[in-house]
Amino acid sequence: METKVGSACETCTVFNAKGLKKLGVNTDNFDFVVALAGNPNTGKSTVFNALTGLKQHTGNWPGKTVTRAEGAFVYNEQKFKLIDLPGTYSLLSTSEDEEVARNFILFGKPSVTIIVVDASRIERNLNLVLQILEITDRAVLCLNLMDEARRNNIVVDERSLARKLGIPVVATSARFNQGIPELIQTVSELANGKIECKPHRIKNIPPAIEKAVSKLSREIEKVYPGIANSRWIAFRLLEGDEQIKEALRSGEFV
Amino acid sequence: MEQYPPLLALSLFFAVSAVLFFLFRPEKGFYWLARKNINSRKKVIIEDVLKFLYHGEATNNSINIKDLTRSLNFREQQIFESIRQMTEHGLIHLEGENIKLTAEGNEYALQIVRAHRLWEHFLAEKTGFDKSQWHTKAEMMEHQLSRDETDKLAASLGHPLFDPHGDPIPTKTGQLATQKGKALSQLEPGTVGRIVHIEDEPEVIYRQILAENIHIGSQIKVIENTASRLVFHAEGESFVLAPIVAANLSVAVLEQDETPEEGVTRLSALKENETAQIVQISKEIRGERRRRLLDLGFVKGAKVQVDLPNPLGEPKAFRIKGTSIALRDNQSSKILIKKID
Amino acid sequence: MDNKNIENIIKLSDDLRWNIGNDFHDSLAEGIYADASSIVEETVSTGSQKSRATLDAKIDRIVTSRTWGFPIMFLLLALVLWLTIIGANYPSSFLSWLFLDTMHPALKTLATGINMPWWLNGFLIDGVYLAVAWVIAVMLPPMAIFFPLFTLMEDFGYLPRVAFNLDYLFKKSGAHGKQALTMSMGFGCNAAGVVATRIIDSPRERLVAIITNNFSLCNGRWPTQILIATIFVGAVVPQYLAGFASLAAVIGIALLGIFFMFFTSWALSKTVLKGEVSTFNLELPPYRPPRFWKTIYTSLIDRTLIVLWRAVVFAAPAGAVIWLISNIQIGGESIAAIMINSFDGFGWLIGLNGVILLAYIVAIPANEIVIPTILMLTVLVTGTSGGAGAGVMFEADSALATGEILKAGGWTLLTAINLMLFSLLHNPCSTTIYTIYKETKSVKWTTVATVLPIIMGLVITFLVAQIWRLF
Repeated sequence: METKVGSACETCTVFNAKGLKKLGVNTDNFDFVVALAGNPNTGKSTVFNALTGLKQHTGNWPGKTVTRAEGAFVYNEQKFKLIDLPGTYSLLSTSEDEEVARNFILFGKPSVTIIVVDASRIERNLNLVLQILEITDRAVLCLNLMDEARRNNIVVDERSLARKLGIPVVATSARFNQGIPELIQTVSELANGKIECKPHRIKNIPPAIEKAVSKLSREIEKVYPGIANSRWIAFRLLEGDEQIKEALRSGEFV
Repeated sequence: MEQYPPLLALSLFFAVSAVLFFLFRPEKGFYWLARKNINSRKKVIIEDVLKFLYHGEATNNSINIKDLTRSLNFREQQIFESIRQMTEHGLIHLEGENIKLTAEGNEYALQIVRAHRLWEHFLAEKTGFDKSQWHTKAEMMEHQLSRDETDKLAASLGHPLFDPHGDPIPTKTGQLATQKGKALSQLEPGTVGRIVHIEDEPEVIYRQILAENIHIGSQIKVIENTASRLVFHAEGESFVLAPIVAANLSVAVLEQDETPEEGVTRLSALKENETAQIVQISKEIRGERRRRLLDLGFVKGAKVQVDLPNPLGEPKAFRIKGTSIALRDNQSSKILIKKID
Repeated sequence: MDNKNIENIIKLSDDLRWNIGNDFHDSLAEGIYADASSIVEETVSTGSQKSRATLDAKIDRIVTSRTWGFPIMFLLLALVLWLTIIGANYPSSFLSWLFLDTMHPALKTLATGINMPWWLNGFLIDGVYLAVAWVIAVMLPPMAIFFPLFTLMEDFGYLPRVAFNLDYLFKKSGAHGKQALTMSMGFGCNAAGVVATRIIDSPRERLVAIITNNFSLCNGRWPTQILIATIFVGAVVPQYLAGFASLAAVIGIALLGIFFMFFTSWALSKTVLKGEVSTFNLELPPYRPPRFWKTIYTSLIDRTLIVLWRAVVFAAPAGAVIWLISNIQIGGESIAAIMINSFDGFGWLIGLNGVILLAYIVAIPANEIVIPTILMLTVLVTGTSGGAGAGVMFEADSALATGEILKAGGWTLLTAINLMLFSLLHNPCSTTIYTIYKETKSVKWTTVATVLPIIMGLVITFLVAQIWRLF
């Protein structure tokens, strides 16, 4: 959906984090690109709006954002461009939404990927999180809808979750702008390389497949030394993804 | 302003509609038939004859010209002509009454079979065509795919081994994966096995199998096998088939070291206030539909409950991994579960 | 780049795929979820709460119950439509007073004051300005009421339950339960309904929903239906039944639209669309209290204004065309009159007339201006008194006066009924056509969505007209 908001964003600084300026759709000359990924209906667009000051409509519907929305904010004099990816359950299928999200994280090489999850339904959301962590090693988990989780008596041990996933975890309630300053702070630190991530790798794969995957990913690393997502590329090759084959030939993702 | 008498206008209209209807009605319209007829040129006849001979040899039946004219839907004259040409090109040779494939003819036939089965696989995985239509569509397509296109198709599908009915797909070099199955009608009561193949010809019988909701890949146990009927249990349901229908299902008898699944039922049979664990998604759910269900968390071991019954019966909502997901009966009947307390 | 090695890797992956067989995707998905549940086990505790929030469960039991599920749905839909139609009256009449009765004459005076040539004045003010103003006045208020109400229900989480309740009916015609919502959205505006089909994530069902959305009477067509039913249908029954009869006629047309929607969905999914991929999944999200003002604001921005903007963009040239064809003369007759005369024969065949057909052709951009255009053209060709001049759309002061003009134009009960049918069954407005193209990115499906309803409309009106004349 086109986001046709011009003047609204100057006036709507809902909270006053020091050094934060929301830029709405003015996305020229940025220092970092930040991707926003997540399952449908996790309040992803609400996070997007809270970060950028835009007012994109966010329905209580799985899958509202189909086309990609863009916005920007400035923090400590660095300009961040924010790309709202379509909400998907996974990155493994062939639907158009998933292709957009998958391609952007892989080929768009965002400086940071914010993964928005619903704190009251973490297990379902981790499916996507673990896939993204196979593609990129600079991500932050935005544990959204904390208010709802609290209402349902769900308690999340954020620290050990961060340790398990190997990425920073920030709890937010984007609807009420809670946790957004912390999220911006973390994104900035990640972008500037102040935080190191050691992302989780998918473990519970049958031995025969694991063997095939590691064999392939070793070969890939031989050609592209030091790439972070050789395992993901191996997964895609084993799925027969023609697009990845092409990318492998052109080296587009490095 | 009475310009046209209404009766005349109406009859003209209905006449035109009728003509259009008979020309273009799906499948049987004259336009489609005519188009099909133009298509049944020599190439198609030759290829169909080759395929028929191939299937005959695969089942050790000898075939003579009479069999061909009886079974294939072409004029006798056309068949005689094509046999003459095929002999000339060294695709077939005669052994007395019987027609045999030469090595070259066999290879050609395999190529057609390969195109046919790959196309069925493609239809099953990548399109929304109903499975009752796969065969007819593939019958047309097998004559149009060139060797190169067939190879490309195979690559894009990830070189599948079996078509959706469970038939092996010949490789580029003509190799076939083995499918060890016995006709269901030959199995003793008490036998446990897995359905590995569902024959899609003749169509009358295939439609009956489809109507029974029998799924490929499901484990079955034969309960009764008499001259008049065959009864088996699968996935918590009981099926009764006429022997002639059962003969079109192939079952791989369970090996010694495999343990039969106990207490496996279909998700559609789950009642409110029961909890179950998912065993697997049936092989009947393919392509994008299968991926979607896996993404939603319908994976082995996941716990599932009925969340909401539907005022109209279906879809029912199931609670899985903390979310309520509504599924239609044709999906939930293809997810296998085991109830737990 | 090391091409040989890369080809080797691809070759290796093909071989490995052959070895690990068809279950790779299943195994991967299972593996990821297994990891996920082991992580969750160690980091998340669910407290005492059992399966889901009890309040949510209670609401769900009521809104999807056998007894209450359907009455609640219909009551809510009726309430929303009623609020829209009633509520829009006041701002609509204010806007038409402002734009049409006050600004228009003022602009005319101004134009004369600065000695603007008559043709420029007419083209700009009577043509472009009037069409745009008309569309805004008629379209904005109902949309500004309808969409926020709808969005509130959506944000609360009620709409997925509606899709859940109705899916079975839609499944029977090869469609998705969510089409119930895009259809209802179409009652507000078809273009918005088409955009809303994004919630349907199955390609085939989404196309079905897009193509059939036009069968929902949109708010540009409700007023036409009500006006014509009041004038003609209400008149053939005794006075005390008039209100009831015309209401029944309008509702009948809307229901007929729903019938055509189901029928066309069924026919499409059985024919041209049967090869499109079809999946089904419907998530029932937890209920969330909507944030009232924010919802109102965003739905105004996102739905109402975008659609309105598109409509304005399309209405402006239509206004220009309407004015031009009424004012350019060829051989002593206006283009409009020539076209009307040549359409009259065909119009008669389908129980309409040349004026109506021409009005529908030039008023493609917005159904809102069909009636004003018909009135203007009728006055133009019959030469009766009234009206505001060639190419100047107008509305009569009362239904009675409108009826007089139309009857002078040769309208009968048959014309009225067929106009109501044709208003339901004709091509979508150009805003919707453009939106369909943007959503499907396919000329083929846009053409199908445009041509199909008009063919149906021609056939139906033809049959009604000819059978009517038999008796």
